[in-house]
Amino acid sequence: MEELQKTNRRRFIKQSGVAMATLALSTSYIDAFAKGDLKRITILHTNDVHSRIEPFPMNGSRNQGLGGVARRAALINKIRAEQKNVLLLDAGDIFQGTPYFNLFGGELEMKLMSDMGYDAATMGNHDFDNGIGGFYKQLPNAKFPILISNYDLSDTIMHNATLPYKLFIKDGLKIGVFGLGIELSGLVDKKNYLETQYLDPITKGNEIAAALKNEHHCDLVICLSHLGYQYKENKVSDQVLAKETRNIDLIIGGHTHTFMNAPEDVKNLDGKITTINQVGWAGINLGRIDYYFDHKRNKKIQPATPYAISNYID
Amino acid sequence: MTHIVIKKMLNSNFKSWLLCCVAISLTVTSCQPHYTLIKQARAEYHIDSSLVVDSGILKSYQPYKQKMDAQMNTIIGESSQELTKSYDLPETLLGNFFADAVFTEAKKIDPSIDFAMPTTKGGLRNNLPKGNIRLSTIFELMPFENELVVLKLSGRDVLQLLNFIAQAGGEPVAALKMQIKNSEPQEITINGKPFEVAKTYSVLTSDYIAAGGDNSKGMANPIEKRVLNLKVRDALIAYVKAQTATGKKIDATLDGRITKN
Repeated sequence: MEELQKTNRRRFIKQSGVAMATLALSTSYIDAFAKGDLKRITILHTNDVHSRIEPFPMNGSRNQGLGGVARRAALINKIRAEQKNVLLLDAGDIFQGTPYFNLFGGELEMKLMSDMGYDAATMGNHDFDNGIGGFYKQLPNAKFPILISNYDLSDTIMHNATLPYKLFIKDGLKIGVFGLGIELSGLVDKKNYLETQYLDPITKGNEIAAALKNEHHCDLVICLSHLGYQYKENKVSDQVLAKETRNIDLIIGGHTHTFMNAPEDVKNLDGKITTINQVGWAGINLGRIDYYFDHKRNKKIQPATPYAISNYID
Repeated sequence: MTHIVIKKMLNSNFKSWLLCCVAISLTVTSCQPHYTLIKQARAEYHIDSSLVVDSGILKSYQPYKQKMDAQMNTIIGESSQELTKSYDLPETLLGNFFADAVFTEAKKIDPSIDFAMPTTKGGLRNNLPKGNIRLSTIFELMPFENELVVLKLSGRDVLQLLNFIAQAGGEPVAALKMQIKNSEPQEITINGKPFEVAKTYSVLTSDYIAAGGDNSKGMANPIEKRVLNLKVRDALIAYVKAQTATGKKIDATLDGRITKN
């Protein structure tokens, strides 16, 4: 069951484990960009698009006229023209919600995401709606990898079809992206997920994130999560994941269709920032998070956190 | 001979020493990454009509759209108001419409059904807009291929199901009334009669929920299970068409079937 949630901005600020700092643009900062010492990675993301190809119809409903892949594609192209280091990611539930899925089985969703240049996606529970075979069948249409680290698919048709994580090199920076999925039992009919084994996302998340940071020396570690933003009951969520792990810089969430007023910054086990973001559903919004990196050569070692956070893209 | 062995050993030791050096230098490098994260900036773009469209993308989905519209644009009825869902209310217009419609159609096949919970709140996937109801409207409300099943349950199992409904703060139901007090079901009536734990009941639901979907409770050990060979969505479509055939619009009311303190 998905829970429609809207986080309250005031509550968001209060709950943030990490105080937000504002950064005055010092002259040295601008100089660094000019000299090429400063690098910028732009992360664009969606979640729970649910086969919403066209905007919602103009029928007086709350979401009328919103969304649509043709607009999203144009916006992505515009951002790509402005920024050279863009990663486009999706947090799952690509499938199900409009007759496009009932009639074409997800073929169109995968093709359009490939056309838009998605770099990776994870699996949501509804991506199993035509059975694990139904998802597998559409993979030839996906020119991007499906990242999932906590589903053991070895006894399924998908045994060689996914990756736990992928490394992206952008402008000399290494970005590790991995995927985490929600527990399927009680949510997806067993006949659809068959022998897929669900593994504990906290254990797996810690393991993969540590490997990405320490063995692969990633400058940035991103988790594509379909666990859900938060729950009233005691159930693993992005908030739990953020607090109980190390080495994850950003969790791009899904499942709960949460419209957040701003991304949430949580203090992780190392006391560092793990940012959680989710952008509702149905392609109504496109999320963007830019990370700035400074070359450390000839400089005193500075602590990695806290870094400056701005709710404004310059 | 011995000499060679020693040389080999030295050689292998040297190799492992070299490897060790490489490992140490790698570790040192990893402790001092080249770049430091200094700032994060974020934004959210609202995808609305103020944005331009990518004509290439429009063109790629046009053939699919034409096929879809040809099948899905048929108007099958009309709704006199927007029927909406909510996660916070025990009873909603959309939930009541959904449960009553499916219950009505299923009873035509199996009149012995006592009550229905054909979906959870999470299974209501889109609000039903005011005005024309197209086939696509029903597909967006109920996109899943779930089949309707009738489970004959012991009163004890029904009570588990009622507790599940109460703890969820209400679910879409038909022919069932209850008051939720402190997350427990009270004043329960089924088909207008007080619930008796000693009796058995026939409940209409989907194969998804019957298999424990959305963590539903009480349906794991039915005394009897009948598959109606009617999809939940097809029941909704049949109901809308039947209403239209008799000149009626689709509507729903909040009748207090589930209240919550």
